Amino acid sequence: MTFRKALAVAAVALAAAACGPKEKAIKIAVAVPLTGDMGTEGQGLRRAVELAVEEANAAKRFPFKLVAAPYDDRADPKEAVNVANLITSDPNVIAVVGHYNSGCATPAAKVYARAPVAMVSPAATNPEVTAQQDSKDWMGPRVVFRVVPTDDVQGSYAAMFAAKKLGKKRMALLHDKSPYGQGLAEEFKKGFVAGGGKIVSEDGISVGDKDFKALLTKIKSDPSKPEGVYFGGLYTEAGLLLKQMRELGLKDPFAFISGDGSMTFGLFDVAGDAADGAYLSIVGVPADELPSAKKFVDDYKARFPNDERKPFDHFGYEAANIIMAAMERAGGPDRAKVIEELRKTKHEGVLGTTVFDGKGDTTSKIVTMTRAVAKKRAFDSVR
Amino acid sequence: MKKLLDWRWTPWVALALAAAFPFISAAIDAQYLVRVGGVIGLFMILGLGLNFTLGYAGLFDLGFIAFYAIGAYTTAIAMRAGVPAPAALILAVLVSLTIRALLGLTILRLRGDYLAVVTMGFGEIARLTINNLDALTNGPKGLQLAPWRPLSFISSDPNVQYYLLILAAVAAGVAASSRLEDSRVGRAWIAIREDEIAARLSGIPVRHYKLLAFTISAAFAGLAGGLFAQWEQFVTPESFVFWESILVVSIVVLGGMGSIAGVLVGALVLVGFPPIMQWKLSADWINYRYLFFGLILVLVTLFRPQGILPSSRREAELTS
Amino acid sequence: MLIQQLVNGLTLGAIYSLIALGYTLVYGILTMINFAHSEVLMLGAFMALGLAALLPAVFGTGLVGLAGMFVLSMAGAGLINVIIERFAYRPLRHISRLAPLISAIGVSIILQNGVFIWISTQSLRFPEPVAIDQVNVLGATISSLQIIILAAALLLMGILHFFVEHTKLGKAMRACSDDIQTAGLMGINPDYIIALTFFVGGALGGAAGVLYGMNYGSIKYNLGFLPGAKAFTAAVLGGIGNIRGAVLGGFILGFLEVLASGYIPNGAQWRDVIAFTVLIIVLLVRPSGLLGEKIAEKV
Repeated sequence: MTFRKALAVAAVALAAAACGPKEKAIKIAVAVPLTGDMGTEGQGLRRAVELAVEEANAAKRFPFKLVAAPYDDRADPKEAVNVANLITSDPNVIAVVGHYNSGCATPAAKVYARAPVAMVSPAATNPEVTAQQDSKDWMGPRVVFRVVPTDDVQGSYAAMFAAKKLGKKRMALLHDKSPYGQGLAEEFKKGFVAGGGKIVSEDGISVGDKDFKALLTKIKSDPSKPEGVYFGGLYTEAGLLLKQMRELGLKDPFAFISGDGSMTFGLFDVAGDAADGAYLSIVGVPADELPSAKKFVDDYKARFPNDERKPFDHFGYEAANIIMAAMERAGGPDRAKVIEELRKTKHEGVLGTTVFDGKGDTTSKIVTMTRAVAKKRAFDSVR
Repeated sequence: MKKLLDWRWTPWVALALAAAFPFISAAIDAQYLVRVGGVIGLFMILGLGLNFTLGYAGLFDLGFIAFYAIGAYTTAIAMRAGVPAPAALILAVLVSLTIRALLGLTILRLRGDYLAVVTMGFGEIARLTINNLDALTNGPKGLQLAPWRPLSFISSDPNVQYYLLILAAVAAGVAASSRLEDSRVGRAWIAIREDEIAARLSGIPVRHYKLLAFTISAAFAGLAGGLFAQWEQFVTPESFVFWESILVVSIVVLGGMGSIAGVLVGALVLVGFPPIMQWKLSADWINYRYLFFGLILVLVTLFRPQGILPSSRREAELTS
Repeated sequence: MLIQQLVNGLTLGAIYSLIALGYTLVYGILTMINFAHSEVLMLGAFMALGLAALLPAVFGTGLVGLAGMFVLSMAGAGLINVIIERFAYRPLRHISRLAPLISAIGVSIILQNGVFIWISTQSLRFPEPVAIDQVNVLGATISSLQIIILAAALLLMGILHFFVEHTKLGKAMRACSDDIQTAGLMGINPDYIIALTFFVGGALGGAAGVLYGMNYGSIKYNLGFLPGAKAFTAAVLGGIGNIRGAVLGGFILGFLEVLASGYIPNGAQWRDVIAFTVLIIVLLVRPSGLLGEKIAEKV
């Protein structure tokens, strides 16, 4: 009896939740982790795509209403494939912005190819995400695109920067054992060693770790005297590393260099003043310095005053805009035509000019190095 | 309800309905549920496996997903080395069994929660080792597998094929479980779970039987892992986190420890609920999915502490 | 470098120990793993942040304000733990040993997602309670924060020791831990003592949460999980149910992690593997943990 009562309570709660506004609209799916450990990053991407879609609706770009439909993959590959199946079974979904993790994007892409429906990833940087389409086992057309560059672009640029601009000869390498972080760090190593530098130590940490003092103490007292650290990973760990580095007395000119996963205002929340002087690379030109991105930065702030932008938000915004542009050219919400048009993309936007190569990757190889300034919570580009 | 469960044709009717499900769902335009059903099936296999350790022998295991991971990675590595898919599955089962037996030989003298934390530790050791041994496992970047489409004469949709394959594995697992449950071995396990000392004094070789239950579990996990790898054609360490172990424990306990029907229902509820919410909840509520999940977990436990479908033997003990 | 690493290990160990105490107190009395403890820890940190934001004049600076923020967050976390016990565990107490575990997991999921949905989906900056100075001792850099953390943790452990060993309530707690039914026959109200135990355990968890926020400078909805799992391991290492064991286990784990990351090549990524391997070896040699008593039990 009581059990039935409990189930009834749950059923009512669910029914209440399920009764959303039911209207037929054309959807752009946002398939990212909305809950779980990576929920923070996914929520940012969801906001970015919502912003893009709202702007398009306000400008009456389409004769129908467009919505950003959120799907939660929880950064779990199995749920990502579930979500991909759900998305492809909904004929109103025209294309997908997602997924966030390479581990999710890789298997989900296989589902999108069967439908087929286009997937434009704003964050998955493992080369395999697009490269798998070259495999003889690939079933379906090429549907994967990404506006974020693969790891080699930023890693090698940062290596050159460390050697040439900063004159570093010995660096310590750190990464978070994720496809993104490790990939970035490996490319940095390749570039740095090729340029005659030496990687004195190499360590992996785990996403979610908080205490790096032991590791940093080891780096500090390394007899081969590293002149800086390159970190492949995201801003939470980057911020903690910076904070603990400074606490241990590893200050300028000891350099901290990282990639776009760390270049976000969240870094200042985690590291505080310790973020000062950190070098962070970003693909294209930083949003704050690009006239075409200025509007995005301001609009985001105005639309979501309580939320700060996350590292990949502008990529999400760009992905949505590229999809919408393709849909315009395709003359309507047609999945197959949108894929065709995406291939012909030449988009001027937040990231500068985006063109996709044969694999589906962005051809943009421009990387800018920035330096964090804690006082004004900004990243100034270094020339 | 009780009568329905005891009816001798119930399992067959359920199996027939489950087998017809992909074709029904195609008719009502709900193919998404075939994918969800397949995932539920994988966790049914995992639950049936853990049921030997936790449900029958009463050994608390918080790192069971390690053997799912070992099965998945064995399959992936074997298939990439050119081993045919069915052989890779067998290999996955064998490797999981071997590692599980070795682990059991080492740690089974630990009791209760000490065993729980050691198995939890092993789960993390397994995941981290997979993530760190880049040369063998390609580390965090994961491994791709060539497709294996065993039932293409039935349907061209891989989801339907794997759904049916997994369903067959679930059916086989249920059959094996119920045969074992009613055997001498099964009765020995229950005697150990209820009172280890009394069981020992009655002449049951306790350590031997515990090891047997502990080891058999891994065959299920290894098989589920292998099927998962072949279905997704991709394995990555992100799939085998601690949370998944907790989920399998919850399936067994919430369903009803030591009850085969309970485990199946437990998997149906706990694994089916989040994807159904994903489907049915409107965008505004999507963030609430796991809040509701937690609520269901607490409410069901409070109102059915002995599990949704406890085994008749356990229920008799608890109500007397 | 060794001295520096020992200081690092000491700070980490102190936090683990405080959390481990919460697990071990509850376990000692109910033999259940309070899976929601990691969320109590997280809520403690969020309460401290809320207090600091609400009353910056009172809690913003100075050691007195800091102590006030501490005490209130501890009380709040303790209270939350009592409420969890009352509604999610007590109805299940006599029914089965694993049912409370599942409802604890459920509570943990609810609390984490509740904070995620209603408070913040992102990392929040945790204010620096005092200006951080660095002192150099024998070549090691020690921050005033590390000293505060260590002092606070040791003080709390001292208070707990006094409470358990030298007060009447502490005696009642020990009696319940030994044998709850007999204690009930001796005129102790077990419900009351269990609630008290959850309060004390939760308060220590809350304190650990505040220290955690201070030490790492930012807090997030999921901050409890990792230290919770580590501290639980520490409690088992020391012998779960044993108060001294929890402290010992916490410090050992802290040192183990520091030594693994600091001295073993590639140690940071193998750190947890090393820690868990040591745990397994210790338990094989001493199946009830370092200071645990041998007990027969069943699941």
